[in-house]
Amino acid sequence: MKPISELLQETLSKSPYWAEARYHRRNSQSVSVQKGLVKQAKSNLTSGVGIRVLVDGAWGFSSTSDLTPQALEKTLKLAIDCARSLSQLKKSKVKKLPATKLATGEFKIPGYDLLKQMPFEQKLQAVLKAEELTRKNSTLITSATCLYNELFEDKIVVTTDGANAASQLARNEIKLGAIAYKDGDMAESHESVGKTGSWDCLFSRNSLNQMSDSAAKLAVDLLSAPKIPGGSTTLILSPAMVGLLSHEAIGHTVEADFVLSGSVAQGKLGTQVASPLVTMCDSGTVPGVAHSGGELLVDDEGVITQKTTIIKNGVLNSYLHNRESAAIFEVEPTGNGRAWLYSDEPLIRMRNTYIEPGNQTLEEIIASTQEGYLVDCPLGGQADATGEFMFGAQKVTKIENGKLTKMYRGATISGQAFEVLSTVDAVSKEFLLDLGSGYCGKGQPAKVDAGGPYVRCQATIGGVQE
Amino acid sequence: MSQFFKNEKEKLETAAGKLLSYAIKSGADKAEVCGGYGLKTKISLEKQDYQLASSDDGYSLGVRVLKGHRQGFASCNSTDPAELKEIAIKANEIAGFSPENPHYSIQQAENIPVEAPHNLVDPALTDLSLQSQKDWTRLMVAEATKDKRFRLNEGTVEIGSGISLLINSLGVRQMEADTIASWSLMGMGVEGNTITSFDYFSEISRKASATPDKIVLSTRKFIDEVIRNLTTGKSESYKGLVIFTPRAVLDILISSLSYHFNGRAVAENTGRWGLKDRDQKILDSRLTLRDNPWLTDRAGCSSFDREGTPTRPMALIENGVLKSFCLDHYSAHALKLSSTGHAAGGPSSLPSVSTHTLCLSSGNESKAALFTKAQQEQKSFLVVHRYSGQSDPVTGDFSGVAKGAEWWANGERKYYVQETLISGNLFEALGKDLVGISQENEVIDSDEESPTLLINNISVTGG
Repeated sequence: MKPISELLQETLSKSPYWAEARYHRRNSQSVSVQKGLVKQAKSNLTSGVGIRVLVDGAWGFSSTSDLTPQALEKTLKLAIDCARSLSQLKKSKVKKLPATKLATGEFKIPGYDLLKQMPFEQKLQAVLKAEELTRKNSTLITSATCLYNELFEDKIVVTTDGANAASQLARNEIKLGAIAYKDGDMAESHESVGKTGSWDCLFSRNSLNQMSDSAAKLAVDLLSAPKIPGGSTTLILSPAMVGLLSHEAIGHTVEADFVLSGSVAQGKLGTQVASPLVTMCDSGTVPGVAHSGGELLVDDEGVITQKTTIIKNGVLNSYLHNRESAAIFEVEPTGNGRAWLYSDEPLIRMRNTYIEPGNQTLEEIIASTQEGYLVDCPLGGQADATGEFMFGAQKVTKIENGKLTKMYRGATISGQAFEVLSTVDAVSKEFLLDLGSGYCGKGQPAKVDAGGPYVRCQATIGGVQE
Repeated sequence: MSQFFKNEKEKLETAAGKLLSYAIKSGADKAEVCGGYGLKTKISLEKQDYQLASSDDGYSLGVRVLKGHRQGFASCNSTDPAELKEIAIKANEIAGFSPENPHYSIQQAENIPVEAPHNLVDPALTDLSLQSQKDWTRLMVAEATKDKRFRLNEGTVEIGSGISLLINSLGVRQMEADTIASWSLMGMGVEGNTITSFDYFSEISRKASATPDKIVLSTRKFIDEVIRNLTTGKSESYKGLVIFTPRAVLDILISSLSYHFNGRAVAENTGRWGLKDRDQKILDSRLTLRDNPWLTDRAGCSSFDREGTPTRPMALIENGVLKSFCLDHYSAHALKLSSTGHAAGGPSSLPSVSTHTLCLSSGNESKAALFTKAQQEQKSFLVVHRYSGQSDPVTGDFSGVAKGAEWWANGERKYYVQETLISGNLFEALGKDLVGISQENEVIDSDEESPTLLINNISVTGG
């Protein structure tokens, strides 16, 4: 049987139009344990080819799991038929895609082979042990969970204008949960980490035992924590919370497809949108941070990923682009075209989004805060085209006269992202990518990471009103 | 289903049969195969324009095996016998090293009741031309772009047809075919420097003849809702009465409440209620909540579940009294009961538990009367439509941003608020703090339905 890249090239040679063929084989495995019982242990194998064509300024797409030359040719024809049909309706035709240096050769992120060689049974045993440690940490813990996922991704992207890139990476994540109960009151906590690489990469910062311990302790501590009063206040956001803010509230508004639809970032390039202390980037690889959760060397359009500075010293500097939007804005593509499966078309997605570190220590920032809260342990969040965001946080600690005092139960923080970033008056040296497990959703999932330093700003906490 | 995808049906049945046989030959005591075939054509919209047309079809098959009380599962997207053999072996391997769990089970199933929906196929949808699909998309675009203040960010019009199959080594064999038209839009209102929140809707139709009108009406309603949000202002902070419209009731309250009816939460004692609470009053006596899988115009319609058990309509809460939990075979075994047909999932996932279509019954006051009541008690109050936030099903606490919420004062809507947070507790909201339930019900996104609720003691934090 012919190598797949040759099959793809042969198929595309039959296209009179610009075309892209993307082979994707994904092998995923996952295990979840609750209260000592394996809830699921499973393996999934998905493979196929997606073909995208550009005909008379309109996109057509089709996919198949059948890798025979006949099936691939049929898929190409279907994609062309779809594009032809749409071109009659399309008002604003897609411009010729920008000439750019497209990826050729092999792109492999270390850790794939090591993770593959480690038996699934060994991973399952580690998950069982972690759940048990969490559950037995305190008599107040009534239930614990541990979930492990891994994805092995093999891709080949070939385009009629020169891309021919084979990439290989493995992503894995582990998530622990604990429920504590006392006198009719319940509290829940989560601890998670997600990486691109081997099993050991997951535990480069905290061991699995340490993660179990902190998940259990947080659930128990939250039991006695009161609910927080609501209102606008000073917040010090942890790297994980800064990551959420960077990704959800700023990152999405600067994805060029959202910009073209009228997001709040439209028309703001070159204007001051944040405090001069804020420099924000989105990058396939992060200098000094190996194996980040969103690490990517080449995107699904065959473009080599690059570091894109979204905000430079508070000034909006760049949007995030795929090849189509780069043509519209007449800039270089930034390597943000990503697809979840072979049967999905590439969309503009983030990779690792972060604020760059500053020059103060966290200790100095806390000491110089008269009154406010330290907000940590995100529970997810969403943001709007307006930049309005909502993030949940499990752990909120009061700061009074420069000292951390009382802990409160999880709360929601909200604000308008650019307004909040304009209030930033302190940025720490400590830096971490810390989005943990989970995926970004935009019609398709995408594995991303995000983080930054500790950042002091003004925002609203949604708590109880008396 | 006689002529509907005859070849695909045969191919799926053959592959599923082979997979079941490979699983038993590889060492399983019992095995279950879940399979599916799907064909879809989609026209996508983006940036106020047509973006992409696509066409895909494919198979997926998953096998669950039991070796004693050990379980394994593997799946693939191929009907190739070599790949099917590989996943059968993999599932058995996983079962081989997984610890025992006495509640794993693969069971025989009853026949599907005659009252259940037996035909979810409209040949006119299956045979729909790409030209007709383009015409439907044009209808949606025309409606969405009438008002220049609406910015269309994303949208789709999709026609999907599929077959679901469930067989097991105890003789269960269930098959169901389905055709569905679905459409969705996401966008915002923009006028000068005012930008509304993103808003989103999706609808389905199983009848080709009804689809064009439904597309136009649902798009018009959606655009009106988005545009009215351009009149913005600030909310005050208070604790008191808030009106929850049907979407808010479902998103904030019912979605978290349903966790406590999940048989697995009951079996693991992580839910609020247990078997001892059946026939006990658990919430306000005006509340009745049913799960109905037989509503053919809803997305959650199906005649059998992920384990082949026939579905049936049932009451979860009746007049505030707990009547039943939602069970799959796993939770049923753990609780020494029978499955209620609530195993959820597809060929690439193990069975979990989920409701089908939740319907909260209407009350005895008009919606207008609820507004009057709120106004008599408080000079101003918030009306919540959508929500972006956290809901902790375990504690019942919720906290998040009220999106596109209305600020009412002196008997009239003043404006729509941004950056307004609400928080409360669902058990209190549906218990002691429930003030009123409207007579009017609304179906949201062609799926669940709810009346409007007036609830007290909700914390509102204005930005």
